[in-house]
Parts: sequence; C-alpha cells; structure tokens
Amino acid sequence: MQPYLISLLIFTPLLAAFAALLLPAETKNSFRVLTLAVNIFQLLVLVIMLRSWDAAGGLQFLEQRNWITLNLGSWGTLQAQYLVGADGLGLPLVALSVFVMLIATIASWTVYKNVKGYFTLLLILNAAIIGSFTALDFLLFYLFFEFMLLPMFFLIAIWGGPRREYASIKFFLYTLLGSILILIVMIGLYISVHNPATTGKLVHTFSLLDMSNPNNFISNSIFDPNNARMLGPWNVRQWGFLLLFIGFAIKLPMVPLHTWLPDAHVEAPTPISVILAALLLKIGGYGLARIAFPVFPEAALHFSSFVAIMGIVSIAYGALNAMASKDLKRLIAYSSVSHMGFVLLGLASVTPEGVAGAVYQMFSHGIISAMLFVIAGVLYDRTHDRTIANYSGLSGRMPAFTVMVLVAFFASLGLPGFSGFIAEIMVFLGAFKAPGANGLLHESFAIVATVGLVLSAAYYLWTMQRMFFGPFDLKGGITADSIYDLDKREYGMLVPLAIIILLFGIYPQPLIDIIDPFARHFTETVLNTGRNLGVTINP
Amino acid sequence: MPVEMSLNEKLYWIQQSVPGVLPELLLTLGLLLILLAGLNRKVTVDMFPWTTVALLALSALYTGNIWHLHNQPVWAFSGMVRNDTFALYFKLLFDIAGILTVLLTTLSKAHRQNGNGHTDAITAEIQKHRPEFYALLLAVVLGAHLLVMSMNLVMAFISLELISIASYVLAGFSFTRQGAEGSLKYFLFGSVASAIMLYGFSILYGLTGTLNFSDVQFATQLQRLHDSPLFFTAGLMALAGFFYKITAAPMHPWAPDVYEAAPTPVIAFFSVVPKLAGIGILSRFVLAIHAGGPSVFDWQAVLSVVAIMTLTIGNFSALAQKKPKRLMAYSSIAQSGFLLVGVVAFLPQGTQFMLFYASVYMVMTYLVFLYVQYFEDLGFTTIPSFAGLGRAALWPSVFMLVGFIALTGLPPTAGFTAKLFIFSSLWESYQISNKPILLVLLIFGLLNTVVALFYYLRIPYYAFIKNGETGINTNKLTFENLLGLILVLSILILFFSPGLLMGWINKINFVL
Repeated sequence: MQPYLISLLIFTPLLAAFAALLLPAETKNSFRVLTLAVNIFQLLVLVIMLRSWDAAGGLQFLEQRNWITLNLGSWGTLQAQYLVGADGLGLPLVALSVFVMLIATIASWTVYKNVKGYFTLLLILNAAIIGSFTALDFLLFYLFFEFMLLPMFFLIAIWGGPRREYASIKFFLYTLLGSILILIVMIGLYISVHNPATTGKLVHTFSLLDMSNPNNFISNSIFDPNNARMLGPWNVRQWGFLLLFIGFAIKLPMVPLHTWLPDAHVEAPTPISVILAALLLKIGGYGLARIAFPVFPEAALHFSSFVAIMGIVSIAYGALNAMASKDLKRLIAYSSVSHMGFVLLGLASVTPEGVAGAVYQMFSHGIISAMLFVIAGVLYDRTHDRTIANYSGLSGRMPAFTVMVLVAFFASLGLPGFSGFIAEIMVFLGAFKAPGANGLLHESFAIVATVGLVLSAAYYLWTMQRMFFGPFDLKGGITADSIYDLDKREYGMLVPLAIIILLFGIYPQPLIDIIDPFARHFTETVLNTGRNLGVTINP
Repeated sequence: MPVEMSLNEKLYWIQQSVPGVLPELLLTLGLLLILLAGLNRKVTVDMFPWTTVALLALSALYTGNIWHLHNQPVWAFSGMVRNDTFALYFKLLFDIAGILTVLLTTLSKAHRQNGNGHTDAITAEIQKHRPEFYALLLAVVLGAHLLVMSMNLVMAFISLELISIASYVLAGFSFTRQGAEGSLKYFLFGSVASAIMLYGFSILYGLTGTLNFSDVQFATQLQRLHDSPLFFTAGLMALAGFFYKITAAPMHPWAPDVYEAAPTPVIAFFSVVPKLAGIGILSRFVLAIHAGGPSVFDWQAVLSVVAIMTLTIGNFSALAQKKPKRLMAYSSIAQSGFLLVGVVAFLPQGTQFMLFYASVYMVMTYLVFLYVQYFEDLGFTTIPSFAGLGRAALWPSVFMLVGFIALTGLPPTAGFTAKLFIFSSLWESYQISNKPILLVLLIFGLLNTVVALFYYLRIPYYAFIKNGETGINTNKLTFENLLGLILVLSILILFFSPGLLMGWINKINFVL
C-alpha cells in the first residue's frame, strides 16, 4: 500500500497554485493547461489508488504525522495530527472530486476575466476539497473545511452573475455560521478525548478515530458518555450532536437552512456551480457520516426520526420549489436540496442498505448535478438567458443536447438504469427495513419519501416538455441563430458524465463493493455503541 | 513583605531592587534624555526614532535577560512591584509593540513626501514635535511595564495614570479639531474612570488594611467579608478603571472618537499596549479578589457579562462603520472581549492561552494598521474608496486580507489558533464549574465571529470585488511590504506550529 498517495492528491494542486502565482498573468493558456495537467495527474493517482484498493474495506492509504504537539503543563498535551486516509466513505467522494474537478476545469476554459486569479483559486479549492474528504483529524478537517470558504467566496463574488455580491456574502455567512457550530463541538471534543496510545500522560487529541471510541473519553469531561450532564431538554452529548447536525445540514443543505444555495447557484459561473453542487454539498453528508454519527452514536439514534423527517421535508419542499422555479439553474439547485434529503434519510435509517444508499446517492448526485449544471451552462453560454418559459421546441435545433438533457433529467428523477435509481432504491430499502431491523424510524417515512420521486418526475418532465418539445419558439429577445448544437468541448464534458451515470446505473456492483464494508461497519458500530451508551445515559 | 523597616533595611531593599527594574530605569532615563535633547535645536530630528527603537530594544534585551536569570518571582521595592514571568512576557510584548509603533510612524507619509507631493497635516505635526512624541511613547511603555509588575494598589494606580496622562496627549497629536475633541473626551472619561477606580481602591484598603493585593491579609480579610455588598461595590469600582483601559463595555465609548482622530501609529499603539497592560493587571487583580475563595459574588460571572457585552457591542457597532479607523476602533473593542474570555476561564492555561492571544493580537493589529496607514496616506480614508484596489495594489491588499482573516479567526492564520485556545480554556472552565454563564459566553463569543466576518471582510470586499478606478501606481518594493510580509509570515507560521510561541508561554507561571 502506497502511504503517500493522498498527500500527492492534496499537495499537487497547492504546489501548482503556488507555481501559478509566479507565472506572468498574460500567459492565459498556461494557467488552463497547468490546472488541466494537475487534474489529469490526480486522475492517474486515483487510478493507482483504485487498483491497490483492498476489497476488504477499512481505512486505507493511511498517513500519520505529528503536526501540532503542545505541552500545556498540568493540563496535558494538545495533539493534532496530519492524519489522512480513505475508506468506503472517503474513496467514492475522492474519486468524485477528482473527476468533477477535471470537468470543472474543462468548463472553465471559457473564463476570460482575470484568468490567473481564477485558476489559482480553483487549484486551492481543489486541494481543500480533497483534504476535507480524507482528513481523519478533526482540526485538519476543520482547516480544509474553512479553507474552502475563501476561494469559493471570491470565485462566486468576482466571476459570478449580476447579484454575485449578495449571493457570495450570503454563502459565506451561512457556511461560517455552520462551521462555528462545528467548532464549538470540536473544542469540547478535543478537551474530552485523550489518545489511548500514549501511556502515562494525558494527550488531548483531535483524531476522529479516537473520538469515535467512547472508551477514550476522559471521565467527567464535558462529553464523557458516562456522565452526560443535562442542559435544558437534552444532555450535553445530544446538544453536541445537534450542533454538528445543524452545522453540516447548512452545508448539505437541509430545509430550512437551504436558502443560500439557490442564490449561490444562480449567481455562480457554470464551473463553480458544478463544484458547489457536486462536491461542496457532499461535505455536509460526509461530515454527518464521518463525525456526527460515529462520535455521538447514542444521540444519533435518539434523533434519528428527527433527522429522517428533516430529510423527508427537504425532499418534498425542495421538489415543490423546483417545480415553481422559473430559472433553469434555480430548478436544478432546488432539485439538489431535494436529492440531498435522501442522504439524511439513508443515514438516519442506520441500516447497511440505507447508509450505502446515502453514500451512493452522494456519489451519484455529484455526477448528475455536475451534468445538470453543465447543461444549464451550455444554454446560458449561447443565449445568456435561463428562463424556462423563454424556450420551446429546442429538440429540433439541438438534437444532441436534447439527448444529454434527457439522460441527465431521467437520471436525476430516478429512472431505473441510471445511477440515481440505485441510490434512491437503496435508501428506500433501508428506510423500509429500519423499523423492523433496529426499531428506528416509522414505517410511513419511506412511503412519504416516495412522494418526492413523483414530484421530481413531475418537474423534470414538465420542464422537458416546456423547453424541448412542441414548436420551436424563443421569447425574451433570444435570437434563433444563437441556438446551435453542442461543440467538441461540451461533448468532452457531457459524454463522460453520461457514461458514468449509465455505467453505475446498469452495473453498480464495483461502487457498492467499495461502499458496502463501510456501510456495514458504520451500522454495526453506531448501533452497538449507541445502544450501549444509551443504556448508560438513560438507565 | 515586612511593613516596618529601618532605614538601613529600606536602603538595602532599594539597592537589591535596582537590577530587577533596569529596563524601566533605562526607559525613564531615555525619555528624559529625549526630552532634553529635543530642547537642543542642533539635534536633528531623525535621531529620535532610532534612539527610541534602540532604547526599546535594549529594554527588551534586559527583560529577556531577567527572564533567563530568574525562574522564581523576584520582589522589588518592598513588595511594590514583582518581576515574574507573566510580567516579563508582557513587558517584552510592550517593547516590541513600541518598536513597531516607531516603525509605523517613520513609515507614515511625512517620510514619503517626495513620492506624494503634499505633506499631510497630521504627520507634519508629528514631525514638528518629534521629541515629545517619542518621549510620550516611551512614557506609555514605561507605565505599561510598571502596571503589569504592580502588586500594590497605589502602584497600580500610579502606573495606570502614567499611561493615561501620556495617552491623553498622544491622542491629540494630530492637532486637529477632531483630535482635540477625541483627546478631551478621552481625558474626561479617563479621569472619571480613574476617580471611580481610586475610590474602589480606597474602600478595599479600608476593608482589608493593606494595599498589597497579593498579601495573605488581603485575601483573608476579603474572605471574611465574602458576602459584604461593600466589597462587591468596591471590587466593581476598581474593575471599572481597568475596563476603561482595555475598552471593555460599558467603559468603551471613548474609543471610536479617539481612534478616528488620532494618528494611525498612535491608534495601533493604543489598541495594543495600554490594552494588554490593562488585561495583565486585570488578570492579577481579579485573581486577588477571587482568591478569597467562594464568595457570594461571582466575579467570574461579572467578567463573563462584561465580555459578552463587549463582544456584542463591539461587533455589532462595527457593522455600521464607513471609515477603516472607526471600524478598527470597534474591532479593538470586540477583541478585548476575546482577551477577557481568556481571563474569565480562571485557569492557569486560560492565562497562558490569553497570552498567546495577546501576542497574536499584537501582530495582526499592527499588520492591519500598517496597511490602514499605507492606504490612508494614498488617500483612501473611507471603506468604499477601497474599490478596485485589489488589482491596483495586489500585495498590500492581500496582506491586509490576511490580517482581517486573522482578526476574524479563520484558519490558516494564528488568529484561529488563538481563538481555539481561549475557547478551549473556557470549555474546560465550564466543564469544571458547570456555570451556565460560561456556556453562554462560549456560544456568544463564537457566534460573534460570524458577525465579525461581515465587517472584517468589508474592506477586502471593496478591494477585490467592487470595480473601481484607482489612479495609484504602487511601488512594489516598499519597506511596508517587507514589514507586512514578516508579519504575515509570523501569523501563518504561528498557525502551523503554535509550539514556537507556546513553548515560551508554557514556562510562564501565573501565581498571585
């Protein structure tokens, strides 16, 4: 096993960003080529990782180095590590990141404004995203998590649409609010957890692996599961879970914390929308699965119905909003809210099927939403208008584009044969099974959630019919000669995305093989430790 | 300490005490020297900044030397002052801050007249009164030195007055109408605060019979009076004076006017030296009145409430500001709240983390003010005027952005590490005492960060995102940018390895 592959993934873009700073700003193509080279290099590293992946699962490609070790006298030692690794949760998301960043670079080819700044920020963002999906130390995770905000803020605020300033500030403030909630819990956790490997002295650690084991909590510390103090209606650990949940739910985003997303999407340039929907939202789901559930398992079980209901509300509310959207990008943004609800539902079921479905949904939605935003970008590039009502009968003028749109829409609405179907069916299986298997959730949840499927079929098919079929007609001052079919660069983005969607829709086994060991392990530990701790806390 | 001593004993004490206060003696002699030299018209004005830097550097060296010589606190002047690692660390910070202030002053526009044409009135006046300016600067540093060493109420009062009186004059050093207004406000507010504090001190003296607040007698008497409202009132009154110095709410309203009108180097200086000196003596004093053991009056809660108010008022008022200097005034109020969080924890590591915060705070404050002054000299005095600067002056804007990000407390800057540390000690303190007010402070403090982001990003927002035409053409290799780069690097390095500084701070033993 090569123990440096993840570092290669993280630090290559950072080094390239540094190199980009030194290049003269006039050589616009050099930045594009440099970024593309980094993406292709990452793809190669990813191929090596997949080839040497141990099918048994578990954490692999682990790298561990001391980062901050502070001796604080009588209080003990503070330890933060450079601890990265990938498992059945991280690897699919890393693969998704590498692939989507490549698509985003191709989509960025048409950025002409301040090319140097744009690609430098894109490279920094790349490193931060991969870092977040691989960090196993809370402080390191938080560093990458926060480090994503600034490049994203500037990318939306400088290269975005007319209301970009409002949208970027809103995005930044919402996400920062979420990360502050996460920070509160992070501080509480590290002072409560010690590293069991060091004997004789007290080492407060940020390692998520140590935090996930209830034996590592210092007795009488704030998050000590054996001595959880009450604070209003809930005990401290339940509060901890709730804060983490809200923090990550803002990122996910979950209704009612989602309002930043449509604005950010509508204003962001196409490649940034792609990254935002395909990758940044996943960090919310990833954080729940990596941190909130394993660290506070008994609180997660306690709140599982709440989490599931919020998921269902997101599914339904997102779908209804999508149906009412007049702007194509806004529609896709709301469909993201709706689809990320499935992640919540799957995780809340705490069944192998549900959890695997949640991870599968994150991967699949990443690819599908990337494709949807590329599609919106293709149209916007031609006409600078995304109003759905202004188009009609596009299929006659843009046959190839219509095929791509069909693939993306059908995949997103969960038609069998596309990857979205596999993910959603697994989530439903999990949600149906949960009441019988582990007593969580209610039988009705899965039934209500299926309504979401009907709604998403409705808004996609309606949009399809309005924009692509019927007589060819354009409104709102769009000229007919601005409509032409896909060019080579656009094929280069859409075809690989479509292939992956179909591939993982028809033959999902390779991905499931990677996710499954994680899902089973996750379910087992969360259920077992959660129940044990639940007994200790509420005898 | 023995109270009754023969003359011989007293002389012996004084003789013994001198080596411990060498830095302070040096500063005193230096400031007198500068005043005298200023009277001599033959002395060129360029000499003063460098003399001041040399004096401060020597003082820092001596202070470092004392640090190495003694690992135990050393008393001096019959228990009036004490040299311990806590005080020594602060003294080093003051000296460094003094040096940075002098650098900022020399970098101000008066020194770049040839590049810019007209001379700015403010800096011209600094030029004219240079010797006094530097003498006053040294006086404040001297007062700050003495304040953090004080173990006696009278000594604390005298040092505080030394700082205050010199500050009143420095605040008016722009010699404008506004400057005079700010200075007068500062003076009026300051004298009332001093009077209240002195009154509190006298009641405390009456209650305990001693002025030495680290004395056992002080603690035992207060313990006896632990439920006396008079004790509480006296304590509050005494604290009010310190709150005024650190611009903690509700004693903060003087700050914005003073900050707006005073010369930029002076503001940077005000937001670091007197504030940190106030925090230093506050930590000691609070420990002293708290040492009486369980009291009916919860000093931790009092400080928490003050910290919450300071954070909230500072941050929310900053939102509405249109001028960088006023914005920084409210920012400095809010930052006092964060420093107070370190004090509130009442834990040894809380004090250490507070020192880390103080050090980082100094670096980021000077970084931001360096560029506030830089852009002010180029004519950018309101926030909207920064529009488009990001392209015209890329590196200064980026460095300034790093400063603001650090003040907000986002990674990867030491500002984040500092916030992480002080809030850790607050969590820890809550874990031990289980007081809800601490949790409220924790949540308020961290949520305030979101508010802070909103205004800290305003200047970078205009600089990078708003399009604007700026006629400036920057010379990229200025000394500012070198100094700025050093400050930026220290902020980044302290994030990636805070151990470099914490290693030193760990050696600090904070005892009463």
